[in-house]
Amino acid sequence: MTALPTTTATAAAEASSNKRSRTPYLLIAPGVIWMLLFLVLPILMMVYVSFWTQTTFKIEPILTTKSWQTFFASDTYLGALWTTVRIWLIVLAATLLVGYPTALFVGLFVRNKTTATALLVLCVIPFWTSFLIRVLAWRPMLGKEGAINIILQHLHIVSQPIDALLFTELSVVIGMTQIYCVFMVGPIAFMLGRIDPSLIEAARDLGAGFGRIFRTIIFPLSLPGVVVGAIFVSVMVLGEFATAAALSGRKVNLLGNIIVTQVGSLKWAFAAVAGVVLTVIMGVVVAALLRLVDLKREL
Amino acid sequence: MHAPVLKPILAVYTALFLLFLYGPLLVLAILSFQSGPEGGPQFPIVEWSTYWYRDLFGLNPPSRIAPLPISDGLVRSLALALMTTVVSTVLGVMSAQAFRQKFTGSGFVFYLIVLGMMVPGVLVGLGTALLANSFGIDRHWWGTAFVLHVVYTFPFAFLVMLAIFNRFDPTIEEAAWSLGVPPGRTFRKVTFPLIFPGVLSAMLFCFTLSYDEFARTLFASGRDLTLPLAIYGTFAVEIHPNIFAFGVLTTLFSLALLGIYAILMSLSVRRAQRVLVQEEA
Repeated sequence: MTALPTTTATAAAEASSNKRSRTPYLLIAPGVIWMLLFLVLPILMMVYVSFWTQTTFKIEPILTTKSWQTFFASDTYLGALWTTVRIWLIVLAATLLVGYPTALFVGLFVRNKTTATALLVLCVIPFWTSFLIRVLAWRPMLGKEGAINIILQHLHIVSQPIDALLFTELSVVIGMTQIYCVFMVGPIAFMLGRIDPSLIEAARDLGAGFGRIFRTIIFPLSLPGVVVGAIFVSVMVLGEFATAAALSGRKVNLLGNIIVTQVGSLKWAFAAVAGVVLTVIMGVVVAALLRLVDLKREL
Repeated sequence: MHAPVLKPILAVYTALFLLFLYGPLLVLAILSFQSGPEGGPQFPIVEWSTYWYRDLFGLNPPSRIAPLPISDGLVRSLALALMTTVVSTVLGVMSAQAFRQKFTGSGFVFYLIVLGMMVPGVLVGLGTALLANSFGIDRHWWGTAFVLHVVYTFPFAFLVMLAIFNRFDPTIEEAAWSLGVPPGRTFRKVTFPLIFPGVLSAMLFCFTLSYDEFARTLFASGRDLTLPLAIYGTFAVEIHPNIFAFGVLTTLFSLALLGIYAILMSLSVRRAQRVLVQEEA
C-alpha cells in the first residue's frame, strides 16, 4: 500500500527532472539558432566567397584563389594591411598610456566607492553621443583654424597654425584614442579596485617605494584588466573604418576602408578576402592576449 | 593608500583626461550656435544664434546649404531600435534563464552568444550582404540590418540578465512551485517582477546600441538610410554647423532616455522596498 504512492512520486519526480533538464535547451534554442544563422553563417559565407571568381561586375561561384593572389600582389592591399596593424599598435599603446593613470586614480587612490563610481560614470557619459558625431567633433578641434591651433597660438607656443593635426594619420590616432580609451580604463580600474590595501601597506611598511610597489604588486595584479581592455580596443580598432574615413581625408586606408570601397564597386570577392584577412589577424591577436593571462582564473 | 605627492598629480591628470573626453563635444556644442547661413564649422563665432537649430526643423528660408536629410532616417532608426530592443531582450532573458541550470554545451553557447558583440560590424555586415546576394534576398533596414542589430545587442542583454540571475534568490521560486504554482505563472508573477530592473537595463543597452549602430547597417541595409547612415553620408561633402546642432540634440535625447531609465529604475526599486515593508509588517 505504501509502495504505490512512492513509485508514482518517483516517476513524477523523474518526469519533472526530465522536463527540467530539457528546459535549458528549449530556452536557449532560439538564441543559438539566431546566432548560427546570422553570425556564423555570414562569416563562413565570407570565407567561401573569397574563393569565388570575380569578374568586372559580378561574382560567380567558381572556386579560384585568384582574388587571394591579387590581394597579396597588390601594393594597395598590402599597404592597407600594414597601416591597419600599425594604427592598431599605436592606438593600443596610446589607450593604455592615456588610460592607465586614470584607472590608477579611480581604482586605487579613490577609496570612496561613490566617488569612484561617479568618475567612471563621467567617463561613460560621452558614449551617449552618437559615435559618428564624436568622430566628427574632432574636425573643429584639430583643423587649421581649429580650437587646438587657436589655443596654441594664443599661448604663443606656436606662431603658425599646425597643419599636420587634421587629415593625417595623427588625427586618426587621436580620434581613436579618445573614443576607445574608456574601454581600457574600465577593466583596469575594476582590477585595481580589488587589490587588498593591506598588501600595499605591508609592502610600504617593509620599506618599498611606490615604483617598486607598482612594479611588483600593482601592475601584475592589474594585468587581467589590461588584457581585457586590450582585447576590447584591439577588436574595435581592427574593425574600424569610419574614423579613418572622417578624419584622414582618405589618406589613411585601413582594411575596413578597403572592404567598404570594394563593396561600393561591387568587387565582392576582394572585399571577402580583406574580410578573411582581418578575421585571421583578430583571431591571432585575441588568442595571443588570452595566453598572457588565464582570465577564467583571474576574474 | 597614502601617497602625498602622487595623489594630487593623478587627480590633476584625471581632470585632464576628462577634458580630453569632453573637449571635442564642448567645442562642437559651442560651434552649433554659429550664425548662419554664412558662418562656417569653425571659430571664430561670427555671431551667437540658434540658426542651425531652426535649420534642422526647416524653419529657415531656403539657402544654398541643403538641410540635413534626417527626418526619414530618424523614424527608421527609432523603429529599428524598438524592434531590436524587444527581440534582443526576450532572447537575452530566455538564454540567461537557461543558464541558471547546468547543461552540456553551455560553454560553447556562452562563447557563441558573446561572439556577437565582439565580431566587428564590417565582417558580419559584409558576410550578411554576401549571403543575401547569393540567396537573392533584398537588403532592407527592417530585414537584414534588423537581424544583425539583434546579433549585436542580444549578447549585451544576455550578459546583463546573467548578472541579474547570479544575484537572484531561487528559494522564492521554489516556494511558489512547492505551493503548486505552474512554472509559467511563477515566472510572470514572481520571477519577472524581481528581475524587472535588470530587464530595463538590458532594454536601455539594446536601444542605445541599435539606435547608434552604424557599421553593420551600412552593409546590410538597402537604399533606405537609417539615421547614422544619413549622418555618415554628409561626411563626404562639406560639413556645416547644422550637423553640430544635430549632435547636441541627439545627445540631449539620449540623456533624456537615460533620465527616464533612472526614474523607472528608482520607481521599481521603491516598489520593491514597499512590498518588503508590507511583508515585514
